[in-house]
Parts: sequence; C-alpha cells; structure tokens
Amino acid sequence: MQALYPLFKWFDSSWIGETIRSSKYAFPVIEAIHLLGLTVLLGIMVMISMRLFGMILVYMPTRKLAKELAPYTTISIIVMLVTGFLLFASEALKCFDSPSFRFKMVSLFLALIFQLTIYRRATTSERVDKSPGYARMTAVLALVLWFAVGLGGRAIGFL
Amino acid sequence: MSILDICQWIQDTNFGTSLRESIWMFPIVEGTHVLALSLSVGTLFWMDLRLAGVFMKDQPMSKVSSSVLPWTLVGFTIMTITGVMLFWCQAVKAYNSIFFKIKITLLILAALNAIAYHTTIYLKMKDWDTVWPPPARARFAGWFSIVVWIGIIVAGRTMAYNF
Repeated sequence: MQALYPLFKWFDSSWIGETIRSSKYAFPVIEAIHLLGLTVLLGIMVMISMRLFGMILVYMPTRKLAKELAPYTTISIIVMLVTGFLLFASEALKCFDSPSFRFKMVSLFLALIFQLTIYRRATTSERVDKSPGYARMTAVLALVLWFAVGLGGRAIGFL
Repeated sequence: MSILDICQWIQDTNFGTSLRESIWMFPIVEGTHVLALSLSVGTLFWMDLRLAGVFMKDQPMSKVSSSVLPWTLVGFTIMTITGVMLFWCQAVKAYNSIFFKIKITLLILAALNAIAYHTTIYLKMKDWDTVWPPPARARFAGWFSIVVWIGIIVAGRTMAYNF
C-alpha cells in the first residue's frame, strides 16, 4: 500500500483538493449530492431485488422494471463516482490511513464490475421472469456489495 | 422549563448519555439511518415519479401505490426509530442547529402534502388510474414530495456542520 502514498499525496495537494478544502461550503454540498445519489442507487437495487422475490410491483415484469430503471442507475452511478472522487481528492491523505476507505474501494471495485457485467445481464435477460432463480442470486450479491460500499463510506467518518 | 431545558434533560437521560458515548451503538444507529434511506425515500421516489407523470407510464397508479407504499412505510418506521434515537442523544445540538429546524419544517410539509393528496385526489383515483399524464394536482403532489424529500436529506446531512 505504501507504494500508493505519492499518488494520494498528489491528489491531496492537487488543485481540486485545495479548492474544495479552502471553501467552507464545497464539501457539505458535494457530500449532500453524494447522499442523494446513494438514495437513488440503493433504492433501485432494493426495488429490483424485491421485485425478483415477488415482494413489490408483481404486476410489472422484472425485465421491464429493470429496463425502465436502467437510465437512473447509470446517472446515479456517475453522480456517485464524480462526487465521490471530489470528496476523496479533498481529503486523500486522511483516506490513505483509513481502513474504512480501503474497504469501501475494494467493495466499490467489485460492485461496479459485478453490476456492469453479470447483474445487468441477469436482470434484463428474456428468461428473468420465467426462471428468476439465477437473477435472484445476482441481486442478493449486488445488494450486499452496494450496501458494503455505503457502510464503508459512512464508516470513513468514524475510523 | 424552556424547550432548551427539555432538550438538555432528554440528552442527559441514561439512554441518551450511553448512546452518545457508546463506541458501536451510535455509528450503527447512524449508519442504519443513512442506509434505510434506500427503503424509505428510495422507494417513495418511484411512486412520486409515477404520480408526477415521469415513470412507469403503463402501470395503473392504484397498483403502483398499493404495492410500493407498504415498503415505504417499513422504511419510514426504521427512519423514525433511528431518527428519534439520534435526536435523543444529541437534543441540544439539534436544538441549536438551523438545519434541524429546516428538516423538521420540511418533514411537516411532506406530511401535509401526503394528507392533502390522500384526502382529495387519491379518493378519486379510479377516474385517473390509467390516464396519462396524471391530472395536474397529482403531478403537483408528486413533484412537491420529491423536492421536499431532497431538502430533508440535504438538511439532515448538513446538521453535522454549524456554519
């Protein structure tokens, strides 16, 4: 990990990091947007999972729900990544020492890869409404991964 | 006894003090409050967007409403329990925070909006259940709810700061 220290230091002293740190309002505003993104993204993950298990919107095919939600998923992930990067740049050195941040980044990496490959294909496949077993498994795993990201993020403030 | 005295008394109770000084309980309660946003506002949001005439165009409003709302209420139950706990252990800080006052005001507005909707146009839903776009009053209730809830989330997060 020590090999990455110069990179964190560079982000910390970058123009973006300096600008956000020197403003009283920038960090809280970016943080609030980050939290709104979380509400939308985790809300989508919860909705699709509950639909797959027949707990919500049972009159609407899962495939249709997942497709209608897809643009919102993309937008919320982009918002999360952009605001998350800005928050990181403003306190990169604090993040370097934070076990929560490392946990969050590993979870995020896994969540993103899983979301964009296996999960997306499983929840929008033509078979999803006839035999939802496989999609249910991917939904549970995606939910665990994304909630781990959220938990890790909240924990950066504590340890 | 002023409101400030009452707040002081609330946070000085055994429950308030032990929660505030706990190593694990406070972060767990706060973390739950944040993550349960997904079930509360995260589900309400889609019903509001249906109401606002943006989302789930071909799903009857009555079906969306009766299917989503129970889960939203489960979410809000979690939010209320954890929210009251968070207030309990830092009542004076909340009392002194302008953002807490904004948050409470917006919560009241959200409740009034829900009451207004459920006592008027909601009762006539069979007339507009499958009509697209939904009537103006329904769309207003949807957008109003979305905007107010965004404000509640932002105010809640900003309570951590005192400008």
